[in-house]
Amino acid sequence: MHINHSSTYLFIAIFAVIYTLIIARKTARQQLDIYDLAMLSMVVIIPAIFVSFPQVAYWLSRLTGVEFPFVVMFGMLIAILFIIIHRLTVKIHRLESNCRLLVQELSLLKQVIDEGVKKSTSKK
Amino acid sequence: MGTPRVLIIIPCYNEQGAISALLNEIKACQQDYETIVVDDGSSDTTYQIAHELSPIIKLLRNLGIGGAVQTGIKYAQNNDFDFCVQIDGDGQHPPCEVSKLLLAYREMPNSIIIGSRYLTHDTFRSTWARRVGSQTIAGALNRLFTHSKITDPTSGMRLMDRKAIELFAKHYPHDFPEPISLAWALKEGLSVSEVPVQMRPRVHGDSSIIGLKQLAYMLRVLGYILLSRLKRTKLNDV
Repeated sequence: MHINHSSTYLFIAIFAVIYTLIIARKTARQQLDIYDLAMLSMVVIIPAIFVSFPQVAYWLSRLTGVEFPFVVMFGMLIAILFIIIHRLTVKIHRLESNCRLLVQELSLLKQVIDEGVKKSTSKK
Repeated sequence: MGTPRVLIIIPCYNEQGAISALLNEIKACQQDYETIVVDDGSSDTTYQIAHELSPIIKLLRNLGIGGAVQTGIKYAQNNDFDFCVQIDGDGQHPPCEVSKLLLAYREMPNSIIIGSRYLTHDTFRSTWARRVGSQTIAGALNRLFTHSKITDPTSGMRLMDRKAIELFAKHYPHDFPEPISLAWALKEGLSVSEVPVQMRPRVHGDSSIIGLKQLAYMLRVLGYILLSRLKRTKLNDV
């Protein structure tokens, strides 16, 4: 069976362009920060490098002792995803702490106001 | 020094069946304790009932026991209390026993004084599985931190002086707060002691830590305690 590699390249290129545009647009709207843009771009950049420079893929394959270059590519993508997840977990934990602190401070403030209202009402 | 100001912190979540009796019992002790009820986002009438009898902080969202107790500690710090005493809102801790903690502090001013169920045999002592878990955690604390002789690390009845209030207002664990906060305090060089107190079985509601959760609780607490031993101190950040 004949495999048309140019159609594979075209498919990857279209995906890369669309995905890059989507995350660039989200970054411009401040829904993502520049670090997220850089990390998520790797999903496009790494396969693009592997397709454009097959010699790099084979070199990495030999270097890591992994037989198939695409396994190295997926390994790199999984590593990137792990870094993203790690960062998001830390960020969520920090947000949770800040949220908890905010709830405490708001509740303490509300208690002071309620007590003040209670005292002024009882004076009247 | 005049009479020390003592605040009793009562964290509660859906304790409408117990809170009124508890607050009346505190008044009946005639010890001039001030109280603050911290309603951890109850969905029942806990707030309405407690509001008539005591100052109360209604947390806008449920934060769990750690968040509720820390809010009470912050209240103690903001209002310049000398001591705060945490007791459970479910009526397990007879409030008149608080005087034993204060007496122990006068005799030996340790920053944290725990009301222990396990120093004597004449009080409610929880289930067998819980006792084993509690003793394992106590063993870990006593081995990892020198000068620590704790028998009841999971007791929710304890007195904190200004130094402990200052530390916990800034840093207080959100999960499994009782044993882990002890590890943090010991790590910061705060002194901890215990005094025997009477406790009662829970009158209303059920514990959330049942079945296999007890084992998971113990393992997670042990992990946190070990990590507390390794982390750097925070008292200078306070």
